[in-house]
Amino acid sequence: MPELELAVALVTDPLVVGLVIAGTLVGVLVGALPGLSSSMAVALLLPFSLYLEPVPAMALLSALYCAGTYGGSITAILINAPGAPPAVATAFDGYPMARQGEAGRALGMAAFASTIGGIFSVIVLLFAAPLLARLAYGFGPPEYFALAVLGLSMLSSIGGESPLKNLIGGCLGLLVATVGVDLTTGVERFVFGVPELYDGIDFIPVLIGLFAVTEMLTQAGRTGLPRVSLGLSATKLPTRDDLRRVRGTIFRSCCIGTFVGILPAEGSTMAAMIGYNEAKRWSKEPEKFGKGAIEGIAGPEAANNAATGGSMVPTLALGIPGSATAAVIMGGLQVHGLRPGPYLFEEQPGLLYGIFFSMLLANLLFLVVGIAGAKLFARISLVPGTLLWPMVFVLSMVGAYGVEQSMVDVWVMLAAGFLGFVLKRHGFGPAPIIMGLVLGGLVETSLAQSMILFDNQWTRFSTRPVALVFFALALGSILTSAVRALRRGAVSS
Amino acid sequence: MEGDKPSSESKLAHPDVVAGLVLIAACAAALGSTTTFREVPAMLSQNVPPTFFPRLILYVIIALSLTLMVTAPRRGRPRRDNIRPRVFLTALLLVAATLLVPRVGMLVTVVLLAMALPFSWGERHPLRIVGLAFGLALAIHVVFVLGLGLRFPRGAFWDAWGG
Repeated sequence: MPELELAVALVTDPLVVGLVIAGTLVGVLVGALPGLSSSMAVALLLPFSLYLEPVPAMALLSALYCAGTYGGSITAILINAPGAPPAVATAFDGYPMARQGEAGRALGMAAFASTIGGIFSVIVLLFAAPLLARLAYGFGPPEYFALAVLGLSMLSSIGGESPLKNLIGGCLGLLVATVGVDLTTGVERFVFGVPELYDGIDFIPVLIGLFAVTEMLTQAGRTGLPRVSLGLSATKLPTRDDLRRVRGTIFRSCCIGTFVGILPAEGSTMAAMIGYNEAKRWSKEPEKFGKGAIEGIAGPEAANNAATGGSMVPTLALGIPGSATAAVIMGGLQVHGLRPGPYLFEEQPGLLYGIFFSMLLANLLFLVVGIAGAKLFARISLVPGTLLWPMVFVLSMVGAYGVEQSMVDVWVMLAAGFLGFVLKRHGFGPAPIIMGLVLGGLVETSLAQSMILFDNQWTRFSTRPVALVFFALALGSILTSAVRALRRGAVSS
Repeated sequence: MEGDKPSSESKLAHPDVVAGLVLIAACAAALGSTTTFREVPAMLSQNVPPTFFPRLILYVIIALSLTLMVTAPRRGRPRRDNIRPRVFLTALLLVAATLLVPRVGMLVTVVLLAMALPFSWGERHPLRIVGLAFGLALAIHVVFVLGLGLRFPRGAFWDAWGG
């Protein structure tokens, strides 16, 4: 069993274990700090992970992803300021519970449900990703192109102001990915005589700019609200009575979160909202929701953490990111010279086991960290934004510079950040642009190869049934979102 | 509170119409730029010229932007507050810091920026500001220069001074 030997080697590698612990601690802290998200944290740490071998680097980023998703619940419960979007639904009942003097019980349930959700999804990842990869072995360029189109079409349903804007954002990302010398023909595209652009726009500075600088400018425009942390005596693990009440909710949310995570582009935020709604729908006392129902914490927390493992399934098996953070991790794999997709399972089994193991360990660790350190993290989360954001920018600048040790990358980061801010003000979020940027290479290459294969005849896509299924699903996804948006428009008007 | 005032956009065109027009104009410029791409023999490009994919994406963006404009009235007008002056000041400081790095070096820039940014955001506690500035520069030096071996620009001023 070479796989088992690999897994054991990883479990006992002090560097990997140390990085997973560090990633978990940083992740919980970042998740707890309002405004900082796990996507931003992974983007900020990505340049520094280049100093590591791929396995420890991915272990660090994966642990950060899992812990960051959980960390948001601490501030959602204690100060009604979700540290990250996936924790928004947790605040609905978490904060009322904290106000009733049950913050410890709420935090304990959040940590427990998150751990169960996370572990469930990692187990699914462990079995589903290799199966999906095996299915994808038979895919040719047309199927990959159709799959990438499906991934991009799912952007229409990831929330935000409008599905159309998400799709435009995805296309803008694809366009940015075309900058540089075309690898097939050697022709320069959109370089405008700038030699630094010949190799294309570096992925990492754009990521940092879109996530960190954009958010910093957004925060600069907000009126500072005084945040008051409610008293917390001690975080308690759920009692047997609580467990009996939430076991069905947690199980449903695990399934929902993992499934939503597996869908390309859909991430933890949507999983949490569905998890919350389903918890309310199945509850015997739905009227208690919003006033401090324990199921209202278990539902979204199990779902948003289940989405982390779920989102890694298409990312690793197909090379199609399952969420914005997974897109950043996928970018990390590419920067390390690895190509996510089915062949990764043959070429880099150690890397995959590293990711599985680090996610599993991170999920167990944040239960301990969450129970023991919630009070400390809550206190740290009250650090004023006036001190926090300068730190974020300095780290961003050093990170962008550190990739190539070039100031051009710092300028690219700033430009991406300013543009991201303007776009965000007009309803174009950063996540679709990142997805487009990450998928750009795959979309163009697979389309070009398909056109060569089909002798430039689009109609010959119809001879590939799997590609047709993906195209049909893409069309269905766009139409569903369009109908939903039209209904919403009709209701609001 | 300037930032809390509702904007007086109601007399202007729908923001999505404006956004669509800007996007279409940008796409038209980018399409124009694709005409300057070097031409390659069909045999080399295998009938998929380097303009093919960028143009396809640009046409898709134009189509989506047109749809955005046409459907704008259905969505209603989103309420957007005016941009607070602090945002412009922050952006200006970020640009100034980036310009300063090649002149005075990364660490001095970090110190200056970590003092200027909190001050511009309303922090008035001198110990906190100075502590952050020097603490951050020290942490960056220890972790990235000593730990990871990163070489930051020392700055033209220090280079000239140190020979």
